[in-house]
Formats: sequence, C-alpha cells, structure tokens
Amino acid sequence: MSPRQWAKDLALGARFAVSGGREGWVRMTLTAVGVGLGVALLLLCTALPNVFAARAKVEDARFDYAYSAKTPPKADNTFLIAATDTTWHDDDIRGRLVEPEGERAPLPPGVGSFPGKGEMVVSPALRDLLASDDAELLRQRLPYTITGTIGESGLIGSHELAYYAGASGLKLTDVSPVHRLTEYGKPDAKPEKTDPVLLLMVLVVFVVLLTPVAVFIAAAVRFGGERRDRRLAALRLVGSDSHMTRRIAAGEALAGAVLGLVVGTGFFLLGRQTLGSTEVLGVSVWPGYLDPSPTLAALVAVAVPVAAVLVTLLAMRGVVVEPLGVVRAARQRRRRLWWRLLPPLAGLAMLYPMIGKGRGNGDFNKYLVTGGVLLLLIGITALLPWVVDAVVVRLGKGALSWQLAVRRLQLSSGTAARMVNGIAVAVAGAIALQMLFTGTQSQYTKATGEDPARVQMQVEFSDRKPLSGVEREFTGAKGVRAAVNLANLQYGDARRDPENSNGLTVGDCTALRELATLPSCKDGDVFVTRTRSHYGTPSNADEIALVKPGRRLYIDPSYGGDTTERGIEALWTVPANVRVVEARKDSLQNYNGLLVTPAALPAKAAPALFSEGVYVRLDPSVPDSREYARNVAARIDPLAGTYSWSATQENEKYTSIRTGLYVGSAFVLALIGASLLVSQLEQLRERRKLLSALVAFGARRRTLSLSVLWQTALPVGLGLLLATTVGVTLGSVLLKMTRTPVAMDWASVLTMTGVGAAVVAVVTLLSLPPLLRMMRPEGLRTE
Amino acid sequence: MTTSPPGSLLTAHDLRKAYGPTHALDGAEFSIHPGEIVAIMGPSGSGKSTLLHCLAGIVPPDSGSITYNGRELTTMSDARRSALRRSEFGFVFQFGQLVPELTCVENVALPLRLNGTSRKDAEKAALTWMERLEVDDLKAKRPGEVSGGQGQRVAVARALVTGPRLLFADEPTGALDSSNGERVMELLTEAARSTNAAVVLVTHETRVAAYSDREVVVRDGKSRDMERAV
Ligand SMILES: Nc1ncnc2c1ncn2[C@@H]1O[C@H](COP(=O)(O)OP(=O)(O)OP(=O)(O)O)[C@@H](O)[C@H]1O
Ligand SMILES: [Mg+2]
Repeated sequence: MSPRQWAKDLALGARFAVSGGREGWVRMTLTAVGVGLGVALLLLCTALPNVFAARAKVEDARFDYAYSAKTPPKADNTFLIAATDTTWHDDDIRGRLVEPEGERAPLPPGVGSFPGKGEMVVSPALRDLLASDDAELLRQRLPYTITGTIGESGLIGSHELAYYAGASGLKLTDVSPVHRLTEYGKPDAKPEKTDPVLLLMVLVVFVVLLTPVAVFIAAAVRFGGERRDRRLAALRLVGSDSHMTRRIAAGEALAGAVLGLVVGTGFFLLGRQTLGSTEVLGVSVWPGYLDPSPTLAALVAVAVPVAAVLVTLLAMRGVVVEPLGVVRAARQRRRRLWWRLLPPLAGLAMLYPMIGKGRGNGDFNKYLVTGGVLLLLIGITALLPWVVDAVVVRLGKGALSWQLAVRRLQLSSGTAARMVNGIAVAVAGAIALQMLFTGTQSQYTKATGEDPARVQMQVEFSDRKPLSGVEREFTGAKGVRAAVNLANLQYGDARRDPENSNGLTVGDCTALRELATLPSCKDGDVFVTRTRSHYGTPSNADEIALVKPGRRLYIDPSYGGDTTERGIEALWTVPANVRVVEARKDSLQNYNGLLVTPAALPAKAAPALFSEGVYVRLDPSVPDSREYARNVAARIDPLAGTYSWSATQENEKYTSIRTGLYVGSAFVLALIGASLLVSQLEQLRERRKLLSALVAFGARRRTLSLSVLWQTALPVGLGLLLATTVGVTLGSVLLKMTRTPVAMDWASVLTMTGVGAAVVAVVTLLSLPPLLRMMRPEGLRTE
Repeated sequence: MTTSPPGSLLTAHDLRKAYGPTHALDGAEFSIHPGEIVAIMGPSGSGKSTLLHCLAGIVPPDSGSITYNGRELTTMSDARRSALRRSEFGFVFQFGQLVPELTCVENVALPLRLNGTSRKDAEKAALTWMERLEVDDLKAKRPGEVSGGQGQRVAVARALVTGPRLLFADEPTGALDSSNGERVMELLTEAARSTNAAVVLVTHETRVAAYSDREVVVRDGKSRDMERAV
C-alpha cells in the first residue's frame, strides 16, 4: 500500500473526526477533553523531577546551619541566625531570628533588607494566615511588625509559612541554637543513598499512578466507539476494505489525540498556574517549578498520538467491522481467555525472580519492577472485557430495568469494560501499594519511648532558665494541666575535687513523682532511689551509703585548680528525713539517684538551679491547648523548641513517599472521575434515540434510570472484584520481594474499593440530570 | 446441478447458510443477467436478506458457489470483494446505510472518494446523481435532517454514483408510504435502466415487485423462479 493511500485514509479518518455537525463536535470535544486531561497529568509528571530539584535547590540555598565546629570570628560580613521553627495547628512554620553583625552581612535568599529588631519579613502565606481572624494566638507568638515579604527565591512553595525576624543580642554559646555564618547555602550537598525498598516504592507509585492515566487516554480515543463502528460499517458497505477501514479509524483516533494534546497543553498551563497558587496535602510549589523537562514532554507529545493509533489498531483487530453493521448490531464473538491471561502472567514472571530479595541485597531491578507491575495492571484491561462477557451471558432474568441493562451489556460489553478499566487499574494499584505500605510500616517506624498519654509536649529552652517559676508560667496558661520542671546538678563529698560525686535532680513533688514512686511528699523532702538508671550500675547502694542524714556534702563542687571552673560550692547537710524509694520503670527521663525538693536545698544553691526544659501535660478538652503552651514557651524564650510527643516516629522519606502517593492518587481519582463522567455522558448520548423510543411507548423513567444504573454498577462491581484480585496478588508479591510477611489488610482493600465505588457513585449521580433530560420523546428525531 | 444460464452476470448455486439451528439458506439458487431487474420475494424470515447479502459478498455462505462475471466470489479475498463493492456493486438498504456524520452530498460522493477520486470531482458527480433523483437541494443537510423518502433517494444516488453493474436493494421502500415508495422505485429503475445496471431487489410488496422483469420467491431458505402471468 502506497504511503499516499495511507495518508489519504488517515486524512479521511481525521475528517470524520472533525466533521459531523453538533454530534460530531460533541464527541470530538469529549475525546479532546479526555485525552487532554490525561496529557495534562502526564506533563505534570514530567515536571516532577524539576519540582524536586527546584525545591532542593532553594532548601540548599537558604541552608543556615553551621556544619563545622569552627565558628568564624565576628566580622563585617557575619550574621547570627537561630532557628525558631514552630507549628500552628498542623502546619509547620519555618522561623528564623537574624542579626547582621556587620555592613556586609548577606541577606537571606528572597529577602530584600534585614528586618530590624521587633520586625519581620514573612512569606505571603504567613502574611495571609496572620491576617486571618482565628490566628490571634499566632499573632501573640510572633509579636513582630511585618515590614516585608519573602520572595520566591527564598521559599519552596507558594504556600510555605516562613518568616525572618530581626533580633539583637543573640548569644552564641555552646548550647544555644544560634549560629554565626558568613553566607547561606549548604557547602557540599551530597546525595544520600536511599533504601532499596523505598526506591521500589517510588517506582511502584509512579507506575501505579501513570497506568490508569494511560488506560484512560486509550479509552478516550475510543469515545463514541459504537457510532464509529456503525460508521465504519457503512464505509465497508460502500467498499472500503478492512485495511482501509482500520487506517480510517486510526486517522480518527489520531485527530482526537492531536487535538487532545493541544487541549492538554492548555489544561497543563492552567493547572500549572492553579497548582502554583494552591496547596495539596500540605505541599505547595511555584508555577516555575512545574516546567516539564523538554525530553519527557517531547516523549509525551509523540507517545500519545502513536499510542492512540496503536490502541485503535489493536482494538480493531478484534472486531471485524462487517458491512452488515449498518443493519444488524450482531453480538460480538465470544472473547478468548488464553491470550488475555498472558500479560498478567508475564508480569508475575518478571517480578518472580526478585522474591525474597529484601532490603539487604542491593537495589531492585528497575526495568523488571516497572515492566512487571505495568503488565500486571495492564492485564486487568485485557481480562476485564472477558470477565464482563463471561458473567453477563449468564444473567438475564429479572426486573425490566435489570433485563434492559443485561441485554445491553451482552451486546456491547466492550464499551462497558472500557469505561471501568481506568478505575479498576487505579484501585488494583492502590490496593497493592497500600498493602506494601502497611506491611513495611513497622520497618520505617520506630518507637520513641515517649508516652503521649503522660506528656503531650516538651519544651526545650535555648539556654538555662532559673528553675523557680518556669513551670508556673505554664500551669497558669489556658489548656495546661500540669508542667513538670526538673533541674540537674552535681554534688560531692568535698568542696573541691570531691572523691565521691554524683548528679542530683531537683523538682517539686509533682515533678519527682514522674521519676519515682513516692509514698508521701512535701516540699523539703529528700529521696534516694534504690536503683539507678545511669552508668550501667543498676544498684544504687553506694549513693544510699553516701547520703546519710547529717552528712555534709557540697552542691556544685569545683574541679581542678582552675578558678574559671569554680562551682557554687554550697554546703548541704543531708536532712534526717531522707528516704529510700523505688524508681519508676517508666520514669519521664533518665534520673539521678538523689531526688530533692527545692526547700530541702540551702538558699545558696539557688543560682545553680536551672531548667533546661519543661514537660507539659495538656487539657485535651481545651481547644488550641497546644497553641497556648507554645505561646508560653515563645514568651519565655523565643528560641525555645517545642515538640509534641508521640509514641512512634516515621522515617521521613517513607512519609513523604506516602504523601506523594496520596497527592498523586487525588489527581488520578479526579481524572478518572472526570473521564468516567465523560464516557457516561457519551454512552447516554449514544442511547438517546433508544431511550426516547422507550419513553415514547410508555417505559417509566424510573425503570430506565435504574437500567442505566445497573448498566454501570455491573461492570463496576466486576471491575472492582478483578481489581481486588490483581491488587492483592501484586501486593503479596511486592511484600514477598521486600521479605515482609504477607498479611491481608482487608481494611485497606475495603477502603480502596470503597473509594473507587464512591467515585463511580458520584459520577452516576452527576449523569442523572442529563439522563432525565434525554428521556423525552422529542429525542427520537435527533440523530 | 443446473448450469448457469449463458450470459448471466451473477449466478449462485446451492447456497447454504445456517445461524446456529436456523437454516437461513438451504440450497438456494439464483442468477441475473446484465441490466435485468429481479425481485426476490417471500415471507418474513424466509432468507431473502441473507440471500442478498451472500450474493453481494458481504456474508460468506457456509457452502455453495457464487460467480460474478465468471469469477468465484466465495473464495475471493476481502480486499478484492471490497474493491468489487466499491466499483461494480451498489447498495440500497431499508435504512441506516448513510454515514450520519457526512452531509448528503458527501455521502453520495463517498464511494468515489474511496476509489481515489478528488473531492471536487466526486462531489460534482454526486450532485449530478442527486439532481436525477431530485434531492440536489438537500446536499448540505445531514442524514438526520432529511425525511425517510429523501434519505432513500440519497442512498440510491450513492449506490449509482460509481456506475455499478449490479445494484443490491433490500426493501428500499420498506419504510416509506406507497406514493413515496413508488417515486423511489420509479427513479431507481429509471436510473438503473439508463446505465444498464442490473438490480437485485428484495421486497415483500407486489407493487414494488411490479417494477421488476422477473420474480424469485424464497421460502424456507429455498428459491424458485415465478413465471409471470403476463
Ligand atoms: N445475524 C444473524 N444471526 C442469527 N440469525 C440470523 C441472522 N441473520 C438472519 N438470521 C436468521 O435467518 C433467517 C433468515 O433471515 P433473513 O433476514 O434473511 O430473512 P428475510 O427473508 O430477509 O426476512 P424479512 O422479510 O423479515 O426481512 C431468519 O430466521 C433469521 O432469524
Ligand atoms: Mg430482510
């Protein structure tokens, strides 16, 4: 066949695609929108590497932590900086106090001029947040006047909450979080090696998210398939042979795909702008980050039309378009099973060699993983038409609506299966991933030893605070039930260079009870624990012997001859009421063997009593109790760090992969929902004539609506069933590959299928109004 | 075995076709001469359409032979049969054969364009035929916007535009009232005779059959010639 004839046939097909009056345009628009949505999502994915790179670049550029132990001397190009990150509800706020020490001190990235003391420059999102009505507590915590805005170059996303506040008199000490720097930026950002299982997850996430998109594009180029088959049959009748017919169909698909590319680029540009100004699951970016990599974008531009043509040719291979299609819509041939089993089996075969590999044996083979997962998922699209077919031929009897639906499905199960393919593939992938995540969660979560039932928040001060009264600041605040405040200091049996010395812990009765079981306690009491937590000596007999009533000991003794290291050297006579008590197994922190209430110490020791942190117990019934506590901490010490306690902590990368999956799934689900709606409308449009005919001779609308519902519900149910099977299989294989015991996670299976079903339900509801409108007898004449 | 009558254009011998248990054709015979108009009649479900589809090479019979101009149709490749449909056969069905996306004139021009004729020439020829069938004023309309009778006349124009030697018509007037039906039949036979095209006409209306030279009756998948009592 000459290339000229090829071109002619393709062109004729393209012409069919764009001609055809209103009906034709509607179909073409649906296809273009469908393909366009998919293309936009693909383009977005091609931009992802750029997003990560751009965010990392900003993170590195604004890096302000002194790596080296050597602090540069104060000069005209140095500045002091301290991290004052805080949390507002669930959002992290990046905060810094800066103090330029000279004229030439560099400005932070994105900042135009240094804020003075009491001033701050903020990110646009933080400015909006501070201006909102319910941010009163945050305004109290950040009591600075806003004098400027941080520019794009200093932020990793349009919705990042960040500020730089001006400071003066920041103290550079060993323990303080203040650093002296001459420039921003990470000196040598070396890539870390990522755990093979995490890499595997990233890979699978990508395949799982992109396959439904591809499936969807394939479905979109075949919108209006039934009408097209009739049209092609008409062409066959007037003498086009089967090759010509295929080329014409391919031409049609090509036109749709090309138009879809154009529309998709438009969608992408719109989406880029929208995404650049919104936040999804706590992640935001700048539009500029979403520039697709040229190679990948070119790949999309070529792959989509090519795939459209290939899919059409493949689909046409099965259906022999017969000239008689114009008068008879005969039932299709029975589908054969064996070749439909090949893709999923091949997929399993590709994954099989990696079973039992685990994390310790190097990276997983990228190509085998991608290929295997892809084939398994694509296998669903091959199997589903067969399954729908096989089930539907066995059905039939029942109410009229059921019968209408079943008969319709018997005639065109392909269209129905095509519609459900996308959601089935997405659900299968999601189930597998969820299994992988739940299965490996314990490997990426470690116990912190923190008991969030006892303490909800821990405050760490940037430097020593006098012990007395700090906890009262907290207990006086709204939403705080109790605050535990402990000081640690040294004591010995001599004023200088004592032979025996130990640590002692000072706190009020409430605080000491967090460390040991006290039969009774009043201020002035002294306790020695029977066991010790430190130094690997479980028995505390030595200390019990040392702390005898009446014994003269020295608090904060001095060491060596060096006068700069002189302690307070306060004389302390051990009181008569010293008691031996049992330490709590679940003591709040590592404790010293000697527990002393403040009144039992000599007045001279008071200056040595410092608090380094406070443990806060919150009142869960008070809303915003955490925010009140954070505000107290910030008031006492702007550089204080506040940490919420939780029993476990997840690996950060693991968490971000999962967040990525959720963000991606949200998009894919939205896309699939949209596509379902489009194909549902398309289906309805094709049946308009029949529907109005049925209405005309008196079928009740309820019956017809129900039949449309069944027509959707049946394939969806079968699709989800198949998706569950494949998803669980894939999930089990992936778990075996990571050497994790396979456990059925029915909750996630149910959740995922539930989400899938919910999307379908929403779409069906949305398509009801047009259905009712269509079911008017006037519809009869419109062809 | 009956030898095919000398000089016949299309001959079928002992055609059998079964759809599952249904024997749609059960040893049917048929032949037609160039320029002849033959009506196939018979009760509903007797196999008329099936016979026509087999004769036209759109449905392969289970057994039997069909010769067109000395060539065996049943063993021909799809491409060859398609080419025949394109250049030597024309079709008019009861409904549905027009492509709804294309305008009427584009529909009529379609077979020519499939043959490689340029769009302008094809549409010019199409218009001539539409004039002859008195539907040239519908050229810009789509099939959905014209009446049943008009649509059938457009279909006839399309069937004749390539100058076929054999026209297959399956109840071309089935969906029309009698006056409309007669008009379509008049135009069809007139046009066929003027181009010397043979016509295989399936119908169950004697009034329509009256336009033919000869009638064949199909009953239970078997055909036999009817001698006209004129
Ligand atoms: N595609 C098909 N599948 C199954 N059975 C068929 C098919 N086509 C025709 N038949 C059966 O073959 C027999 C002959 O059908 P055909 O359409 O040839 O009848 P007909 O003489 O044209 O009837 P009518 O006058 O009603 O059009 C019928 O019993 C019909 O049910
Ligand atoms: Mg018939």
